[in-house]
Amino acid sequence: MFGPAELISQLLVGISRSMILFIVCAGLSFVLGVLRVPNIAHGSLYMIGAFTTFSITKMFAGSAGFWIALIVAPLLVAVVSLVAERALFCHLYEREHLMLLLFTFAISLILGDLVKIVWGAEYKSVSAPALLKGSISLFGASFPRYNLFLILVGPLVAIAIWLFTNKTKIGKISRAAAVDREMVGVLGINVSWVFAIAFVIGCYLAGVGGALVAPTVSITLGMDHTLIIEAFLIVIIGGLGNMWGALVGSLIFGITHSFGVLFWPQFAIVFPYIAVVIVLLLRPKGLLKSVW
Amino acid sequence: MFKSIVRTKWFAVVAAIFILLFILPLFAPRFFVYIFALIYVTSLLAMSLNMVVGYGGMFQFHHAVFYGVGAYAVALMLTKTSLPMWVGFIAGPIAAAITGLIIGWFCVRLTRLYFGMLQISLGSLIWAIVFRWYSFTGGDDGIHGVPMPSMISSLNSSYYFILIILVVCLILMYMIIKSPFGSTLQAIRDNSQRCEAVGINVRRYQLGGIVVATFFAGVAGVLFVVLEKSVFAEMLFWVLSLEIFIMCLLGGWFTFAGPILGAAIIVALRTFVGRYTEYWTLILGVILILVIFFLPEGVMGFFQDLFKPGAKEAVERK
Amino acid sequence: MLQVEGVTKSFDDFMAVNGANLTVNQGEIVAVIGPNGAGKTTLFNLITGALKRDKGRILFKGEDISELPPYEICKKGITRSYQIVNIFPRLTVFENVQVAVLSYQRRSSNLFRPAQSFAVKETRSILESVGLLNKEKNIAGSLSHGDQKILEIAIALGNEPELLILDEPTAGMSPEETQATIDLIKRLATGRGLTILFCEHDMDIVFSIAQSIMVMRHGETIIQGGLEEVRSNKEVQEAYLGGD
Repeated sequence: MFGPAELISQLLVGISRSMILFIVCAGLSFVLGVLRVPNIAHGSLYMIGAFTTFSITKMFAGSAGFWIALIVAPLLVAVVSLVAERALFCHLYEREHLMLLLFTFAISLILGDLVKIVWGAEYKSVSAPALLKGSISLFGASFPRYNLFLILVGPLVAIAIWLFTNKTKIGKISRAAAVDREMVGVLGINVSWVFAIAFVIGCYLAGVGGALVAPTVSITLGMDHTLIIEAFLIVIIGGLGNMWGALVGSLIFGITHSFGVLFWPQFAIVFPYIAVVIVLLLRPKGLLKSVW
Repeated sequence: MFKSIVRTKWFAVVAAIFILLFILPLFAPRFFVYIFALIYVTSLLAMSLNMVVGYGGMFQFHHAVFYGVGAYAVALMLTKTSLPMWVGFIAGPIAAAITGLIIGWFCVRLTRLYFGMLQISLGSLIWAIVFRWYSFTGGDDGIHGVPMPSMISSLNSSYYFILIILVVCLILMYMIIKSPFGSTLQAIRDNSQRCEAVGINVRRYQLGGIVVATFFAGVAGVLFVVLEKSVFAEMLFWVLSLEIFIMCLLGGWFTFAGPILGAAIIVALRTFVGRYTEYWTLILGVILILVIFFLPEGVMGFFQDLFKPGAKEAVERK
Repeated sequence: MLQVEGVTKSFDDFMAVNGANLTVNQGEIVAVIGPNGAGKTTLFNLITGALKRDKGRILFKGEDISELPPYEICKKGITRSYQIVNIFPRLTVFENVQVAVLSYQRRSSNLFRPAQSFAVKETRSILESVGLLNKEKNIAGSLSHGDQKILEIAIALGNEPELLILDEPTAGMSPEETQATIDLIKRLATGRGLTILFCEHDMDIVFSIAQSIMVMRHGETIIQGGLEEVRSNKEVQEAYLGGD
């Protein structure tokens, strides 16, 4: 039915898509681990990252725009999230989980419409920079250069996050806060700021994901909704707050989806959901240890 | 003595409201009749959610799925089979309750956030299937022009049908909440550990609560089809689930009539605001933030606390 | 009636209960004493099924109950109160106890009849016996701490237990409330013929109610015996009574 070349190429496509999911989910998981809040607005920030990338690439001629956007778009997203956190969110930390969750939903509703106001409802597309255009031949199948780039970027981001959480002071503190927030308070650290920083870093990663995904999809309203559900599932099957879990979950999700596209395109989106259900039946609390 | 007077007063007010609603089509314009019918459908949906969220304390994050399943079940039965129409009407709630049983069976093994996220995932699976299965469910187009029995096909007759079913369901739900089952469910919400210690199989009761609530969500789905004669895949989308959540929150979690109020406010706002702006979700978001910050017990809860300060104190202590 | 044989429970590396032994005979009042962190509450959690033991056996009326979930153990006839108030704060005092009575009468799944019509007599009689009947309509969360502790016991009585386990029943009470609670416990034991297992910090209370005492330290049972036997035990004196 399908040759090995097609299978391998589809596998690589799946992995490259997983890398974007991973970057976004690592951010979501980080926030979930430290703040204990599933941030529904994470998807909206990802969407803003993608739309901003579109605008920036329009501003510059040639490929420079994309590279600039890759730096600037996530920073912009981080600023948006910082404002939301300091202005509103930080006053709610003592409240029930449900309220925090609904608050992030409110933010996602507001951001969704703001995107509509700023960019309109039409589809947008971004072309990949010249360096990453076209395809290369791999195991007899042609494979887009941009996807190869994603496969390289994913592990780099993973290493960066690992270095941050394990080697920097603020990373260690936020990891400790995830496990035992009272203790961090006792140490005389301002927990509120730890939360703010963790939140902004998580959202920054959503922006990175949005910028990276821009050349591979049509950028549209509603991409936030699809993504956030996927990201929730990935974070659950990986183990809440566990970064490596986010990686494993993303790979499961991305690869089952890309094989779904190959075997039964109409129901491709069903395959990852089935994978999630199977994982949760076997390991209700996720594959790797949750930080909760 | 005083209490019974208050009670008869309440009863009189409620009866007066219902009589007013019953004669509404006689004088109100068609558009209002339609909006009121839509509010009834949405109220029933919100109240069914509140049974598990407000009274059961479960994180039922994807309640819209059961609403959608009920609606699709009746729409498919009426368009694709030649079975008598009443079979379709009964099939809606039953299909919803069976879906509730299956999804709930997985969910009650987990707690709180895990429960909610698992439910979103299982519910989204059903949404994805409905969304993609063009040949059967019409995919993202949905199903339109569902045939209705002539008795309830006009707007006014469907209005009466919906109102009567709503009243019947409200009475049933009230009885359930006040029954031993209902009070056990509330006890589980307050303290599930203690319930286990007094011999209650918590998971079984939670599952029972989900099945009952999803049954009523299915009824709401059927009523939606009666009103609109259409179904859409969006009915199963998780954004609607959170919108119903907002209705319960806005009206008041721990009150019986709160969700009706919440549903009425949201539906009415959406209709009237929608005339002036296309940015309805932005306004919904702002409302939600205001409620979270200033009315955490909802509108009804706010008024109840004015009269019954004990309950609030109890929660703060907790 | 209840035999705990070599029961062990550890959390990660910490041995909370390490080979504890306990015997409770029908109609007896047994106290478990020991310093903070000796594993008393964990032992109670193991007996009532809130936690699963790692090793050992728990027999109730000759039947091994160590694998049963809490609600099954309750149905066998063991109920408990908690050290830290553990009630249904949003429900009324009456409803708090009624939940347990309904569960005992297996009427909790009744869907369409008002709950007010069930178990009223039984619930009232329990409230009367603990002295909370005049507060039956109050919201439980708004009661004073002492009343909440009494309500704890009332809820535990709802299931008509044969063995009642009380975890520090007088913790945080005023001296008058404490005395009233001691009287209540004695009344329950004689009036209802209950077997009672409790733990308590206050040695005066222990020696005034208990007929048999089990002493725990670091999760281990040092000794179980009558009052004099325990009082005169050297190890107990060194480890516990002497240090007080």
